[in-house]
Amino acid sequence: MWLLLLFCLLLGLFIGFQIPVLPMIFAKYLSIAILAALDSVFGGIRAYMEDGFDDVIFISGFVVNTLLAAGLAYLGDRLGVQLYLAAVVVFGVRIFQNLGIIRRYLLKKY
Amino acid sequence: MRSKGAQFTIAIVCLVLGIMLAIQFKATKSYSLGYSPDRVEELAQKLSQVTEERDTMANEVASLQEKLSNIRKNDQAMADLQQELQIYSMYGGLAPVQGAGIILTVNDIPGNSEPGENPNNRIVHDLELLLLINELKASGAEAISINDERLTMSEIRCAGTQILVNTNLIWPPFVISVIGNPEQLESGLNIPGGFLSTMKAIGYPTHIQKMEKIEIPPYTGRIKSSFMKPVEYTKKAE
Repeated sequence: MWLLLLFCLLLGLFIGFQIPVLPMIFAKYLSIAILAALDSVFGGIRAYMEDGFDDVIFISGFVVNTLLAAGLAYLGDRLGVQLYLAAVVVFGVRIFQNLGIIRRYLLKKY
Repeated sequence: MRSKGAQFTIAIVCLVLGIMLAIQFKATKSYSLGYSPDRVEELAQKLSQVTEERDTMANEVASLQEKLSNIRKNDQAMADLQQELQIYSMYGGLAPVQGAGIILTVNDIPGNSEPGENPNNRIVHDLELLLLINELKASGAEAISINDERLTMSEIRCAGTQILVNTNLIWPPFVISVIGNPEQLESGLNIPGGFLSTMKAIGYPTHIQKMEKIEIPPYTGRIKSSFMKPVEYTKKAE
C-alpha cells in the first residue's frame, strides 16, 4: 500500500511539473489548499489504519477542506485579516496529530 | 475493512496532492525564491509608486527643457542686441576700433620766423586741421582721431596757442589716424589743388603713412544730452 501511495505521489509530482506555472496571486491560496490536502491524506491514512475509512467522507473532506482553506485565505485577504494563519495552525496541528496516531499504529503493527 | 477501494481512493488523492505540490514548487521557484507573496505585493506597490514618480520627473524634465530652450532663445536675442550695441557704439565713437587706414602727420613749419613775418603763419591752426578732417571725411574715413582724441561730436577749436579737441589740449605734431580705404584716403588728400597740397606748398611738413592696422581709441569724455531726446518708436511702428 505504501509503495502505491508513494508511486501516485511521484506520478502526481511528475504531472504537476508539466503543467504551466500558475499566476503569483494563486500561489498563496494553493499553499493553503496543499496544507488542507495533506491533512486530508493523513486523516485518510489514519482512518484506514483504524478501519474506519469511508470513501465519501474522505473525498468530500479532501475537496471541501481544500476549497474552504483557499476560500478562507482569500476572504482573509479581502478583509485585511490574515485568516490563512488560522488555517495553517489548524491543519498543522491536525497533520501532526494524524502523523502521531499513524506512527503509533505502525509501531503496534510491527 | 482494509479494502482495495480505500487504498485506491487514497492513492488518487495522493496523485492530486502530488500535482498541487509540484505546481506550488514550481511557482515558488519561478517567483524568485525567498519572496513571500506579501513581499511581492509590497514590491509591486513600490514599483508602481516609483514608476509614477519617474513619470512625474520625466514631465519635469520636459518642462525644464522647454524653459531652457526659451532661455536660449532669450540669450540669442541678448546676443543680437549686444552685437547691435557694439555696432552703434563703434559708430558713435564709444568703442575702440581698428582697421586699415592711414596716419597723416602735420607739424608746424620748423625754424624761427624771419623778421617781419607773422609767427602765426608758421603754426598749424584749428582751421587747417578742420579742413584736413573734412577732406578725410569726404574720402571715406570711418573713424578719425587726432593725437588719440577720437572725433565724434568733437570740437576742434583754437584756445590761445593750443588746440582743443574733446576739451583736451593737443600739441603739434598732429597725428591724425584715419580708418578707411588707405588708397582712397591717400588719393583724396593728394588731390591736385586740395588742401594738403596747399599746406605742402606753404611749407608745413606733412607725412602720410598707409597702415595695415590702426587702432583708434574710444571717446572717453562725458556724454550728455540735455536737449536731445529719442523720438518715440512706437508711433513709427504702427
